[in-house]
Amino acid sequence: MSLLEIKNACLKLDNKNILNGVSLSINSGEVHAIMGPNGSGKSTLSYMLSGRDGYELESGEILLDGQSLSDMSADERARSGLFLAFQYPVELPGVGAMSFLREAVNSRRKFIGQEEFDHLAFVKEARKEASKMFVKDEMLKRAVNVGFSGGEKKKFEILQMAMLKPKVSILDETDSGLDVDALKIVSDGVNAQRSDDNAIVVITHYQRLLDYIVPDFVHILSEGVIIKSGGPELALEVEKNGYAGMINAA
Amino acid sequence: MLHNIKDNYITSVNNYIQNFDDKSFRKLAGKDFKSWPDPLEETWRLSRLGSLSRKKIEPISLDAQEPIMSKLNVVGSNTIKFINGAFRKDMSSNLPKGVSLIELNESESLTFLSKIKNSNLKNHPSANASLSCTPSIVKLSVDKNAKIEELLEIHFEGGVESSSVHPVLFVELNENSSLSIIERFNHIGSLIMPLQLIEIKDYASLNSIKVFDDSHESYNLAAHCIIMSHKSLLNSFSLIKGSQFTRSETHAYLNGTNAKLNLNGVYISGNKQHHDLTTAIYHNVEECISKQIVRGVLGGESTGVFQGKVKVAPNAQKTDGQQMSKAILISDKASANAKPELEIYADDVVCAHGATVGELDDDQLFYLNSRGISKDKARLILIKAFLLDIISESVEETLHDFIFNEAQSALSSILKNEIEEFV
Repeated sequence: MSLLEIKNACLKLDNKNILNGVSLSINSGEVHAIMGPNGSGKSTLSYMLSGRDGYELESGEILLDGQSLSDMSADERARSGLFLAFQYPVELPGVGAMSFLREAVNSRRKFIGQEEFDHLAFVKEARKEASKMFVKDEMLKRAVNVGFSGGEKKKFEILQMAMLKPKVSILDETDSGLDVDALKIVSDGVNAQRSDDNAIVVITHYQRLLDYIVPDFVHILSEGVIIKSGGPELALEVEKNGYAGMINAA
Repeated sequence: MLHNIKDNYITSVNNYIQNFDDKSFRKLAGKDFKSWPDPLEETWRLSRLGSLSRKKIEPISLDAQEPIMSKLNVVGSNTIKFINGAFRKDMSSNLPKGVSLIELNESESLTFLSKIKNSNLKNHPSANASLSCTPSIVKLSVDKNAKIEELLEIHFEGGVESSSVHPVLFVELNENSSLSIIERFNHIGSLIMPLQLIEIKDYASLNSIKVFDDSHESYNLAAHCIIMSHKSLLNSFSLIKGSQFTRSETHAYLNGTNAKLNLNGVYISGNKQHHDLTTAIYHNVEECISKQIVRGVLGGESTGVFQGKVKVAPNAQKTDGQQMSKAILISDKASANAKPELEIYADDVVCAHGATVGELDDDQLFYLNSRGISKDKARLILIKAFLLDIISESVEETLHDFIFNEAQSALSSILKNEIEEFV
């Protein structure tokens, strides 16, 4: 059974068709890349999967580990093991990064029947994970994403991923706004979490990220449908020839 | 009909002062107290005193029974008590060296009156009623060059149903002095009309926190006149949470160059509470800075008002005046009004204002939800953060927890009606 199954997903925004029957089957241990030009529906797909209000399916179905997500709110999906790393992580002034992390992690742990972390145990755990991502202690004392650089924001997203231990992670344009050094750290962070128990969906414009997070499968999304699927070589083809040729061929 | 009832309180105040000399400060103030502010008057339009003027209220008698002692825990190292509007030396602690507290005599009171009459509080009901009926005008003074380390706490308590209470305080910081005060208003069932004059001389600095937490049937009409001199500093933060109706009105005069004023406030309103922060900042000379952040959280059927005027005189070049107000409505029946007003007569100034009234931010809520945090919990986190943010910015670190707990207790009571999962 697939860990994440998207069946013929259709979605409209403001009466406009955005997703026109996306189907994907993602198994444990796999990394899938979804590539596509601007406006192809990549971000809509990630919001739809994570359950943002207003992004409900018109038709089709999504199953996480066999369970339908349709009637689940965003927070329920997250607690069930779905994670979205944001393209533009949101600033939360006044919300301390450490207490935010703890709230999130304990929500998930409680849901899956694990003991919640107490304050001290959590701080210890968070620092351990943070150091792996080169996230400074000082950053965890600040408000969530407030005053973080572009790189720090993305590192903090991946730190959350590491701590939440999701079944399926969707990384939305995680490479945007990153310099080469930060890209390497973030990618190493993601790669460290690849395992046989989870799956990762990387959404990106560019092939560059896929040099660092090497996917098992690459899918090309255009006008709300997947027009082509293949191995990592497909990303290189995009890099070489652009999307236009592929779209025309499809 | 309404007119006659309105006159009840005015008559009571006039009766109260009838035996005083015609030239006494009480009589002089009282003769200007002829009516309540007209609801059509621009600054009172959003905070009407209609329901107040329908009540039968008398100025509190000086031998009014004392309240059962309050449950106010003390946060400062020195506490000054005002009971029923009267300064109580017997209940107050000794003051630190460099601070004195006296009750003004008649001629000093007349000087005080003339200062108020020279300000835009001259027609404020609390200014006139309280000068007429106050037990005494109390002056708290900090000596020149005295830097007072200990926090000074002032409790205003007491109150008897259907009575008005009139604490009048004059805070004077002499040159190059500094002081931190926390004032707490905890009256029961009355009309409280605190009047304050705050004078900050050259190079002096004052940190001031006010917590308005009178009982839920009370009205508090606080009026403050602030006069700032060269290189003086005032950090002021008000938290309005109690009462049925509180309006804190402040007129700040920046009369010395390089004066700096931070005038921040928070109101937390629920049920049918009405909370109003009205301020006017007058930049009268060049190179002064005023910054203002006001935030409100409103639930139930409450209403909130922020009126903020910044007036820059023609010669007040290089003025920096910033004002930001934001209110969050957490129930459909709550409402908030914001009325920022800039009046600028100088050409080389930086002034900005912004006001928003709305709901919590969707992107922020979704971000929290996407991390497994429920909708209710996410709302709660964002509301707390909204307040914590300004509290940490406005209040000395040692008082963060105290003020945040004060805010939290008000939030708890308004949120438990709005948020199911409230913890």
